[in-house]
Amino acid sequence: MLRAQLKSLPANGHGSWLPQIRKLVFEYCNDWPSSANTRTFLQRDLITFARNNPHVEIVVKQRNRKEPIVRGLYVNGRDKVIALNKLEVTGIHKKLELLLDSSGLKIKPLKRRTVESTTEAARGIWSGLHAERPSL
Amino acid sequence: MVYGRKRLVASAVKNLTAISASHLPKFPPSQATKSPKATNFDAEAWAAIQPPPPSALSAFAHRIGLGAVLTDTDVILQACTHPSAQYLAKQQDPNAPPLATNAHLGVLGNALMGLFATEYVHASYPYLPTRVLKAAVTAHVGPLTCSNVAQEMGAASLLRWHRQPPAPTGSYQAPLQRSDALASIPRSLTALVYQTRSLPSARQFVHSYFLSREVDIRSMIKFVDPKKALKEMVQKFQREPPKSRLLKETGRFSNSPIFVVGIYSGNDQIGEGFGASLRMAEYRAAEDALLRVYLTRTPPEQLQLPTSTFPLGVGDVFRDAPEGMYVPPSLEQAEIMYASGGNSGAVAQSSITA
Repeated sequence: MLRAQLKSLPANGHGSWLPQIRKLVFEYCNDWPSSANTRTFLQRDLITFARNNPHVEIVVKQRNRKEPIVRGLYVNGRDKVIALNKLEVTGIHKKLELLLDSSGLKIKPLKRRTVESTTEAARGIWSGLHAERPSL
Repeated sequence: MVYGRKRLVASAVKNLTAISASHLPKFPPSQATKSPKATNFDAEAWAAIQPPPPSALSAFAHRIGLGAVLTDTDVILQACTHPSAQYLAKQQDPNAPPLATNAHLGVLGNALMGLFATEYVHASYPYLPTRVLKAAVTAHVGPLTCSNVAQEMGAASLLRWHRQPPAPTGSYQAPLQRSDALASIPRSLTALVYQTRSLPSARQFVHSYFLSREVDIRSMIKFVDPKKALKEMVQKFQREPPKSRLLKETGRFSNSPIFVVGIYSGNDQIGEGFGASLRMAEYRAAEDALLRVYLTRTPPEQLQLPTSTFPLGVGDVFRDAPEGMYVPPSLEQAEIMYASGGNSGAVAQSSITA
């Protein structure tokens, strides 16, 4: 048991909650109409959005002659990119909510997963040697 | 041929670190635009020492819930600057004043975290053997955990450090690792909370981020001879000597027998174990009996911590002010000395005769 290898496992939410989103990068074009809604959002709603979410670093970049995107960077090193060219301003708000709530992990299907837990079973695992003998 | 060249470029680009430059007073630096032979400019080293934007530092403080506590971004930057970054700063500008690093904050924070973790583990598990207590404290606030927590907080992009090769002097100096540099950040944050607020606030910080994490203490307890250790323990508690009894069995002469053995002290069962052989089942039963004592845990609502006696509020912790609630627990039985912490089974007689 080497001292440098001893560690604890994370339990986000037990004692404290660490939001997984670190940074949001908005890229828009100054001229093209596909970025019109994005420009409206940046001019009108971005500052309020940033004030309401002080835990997120927000960066705005001009990227001319390209479609508008928002990139969310997460604490696990991954990023999520969402195109904003076909969305209305309310749609942009909804996508930002999605990015804020996400953990950054790769999307995996939850229906097929078996239950995995680090805590022991609440009712115990059945044992034939400890159960009462059935009587007829 | 074309694909090989593309892959080479892609891999080279991946290793470059991009830094945001909008907050820098001067970008690009004047040395970068001149001839490289004349200026000897290293872009990587220059980029590594540049501070992250203040919005990133402020967002970090809010993410960890210290937005109201750490209002000055320079202080947050200091907490994220490892002393090894001084080398890079000197390389860029030898005449500049020394960089504000987290060396002192790290030491103070480490001491505080050790204090909080030790009292918490000791109060939660009063019967835990000393070496296991030390291992549990390391698991809670040790270097690997600290670096993992720093990563989870999102401090990895804010860290400024330098992988300096150790100087070829006489004694061996282990090279600095990124995890050690990262681990200094949560320690510095603890120290900052202590300095700007109070000791109970720093304790709350450590409890939320370190002592609420999962540690498997059971895997840290290993036995040499649990039957012998159990005999000593039962003697210490002045109970009847342990006796093992076979409770259930099945498949005795088959290729997969199961035996369930219980260990009794008088009429009370103190442990139970299963095994494929009688000896294995008895071994596990003795282990179970010992673990039931060692892993006795105080319920969290009944936990009494000695640092509660320090007064709340900003100021010197040793000042005269109303103390918190603390009821000292009764001292538990001393741990059994057999196979504990490098001691042999022999009792030290020389200390008594001398």
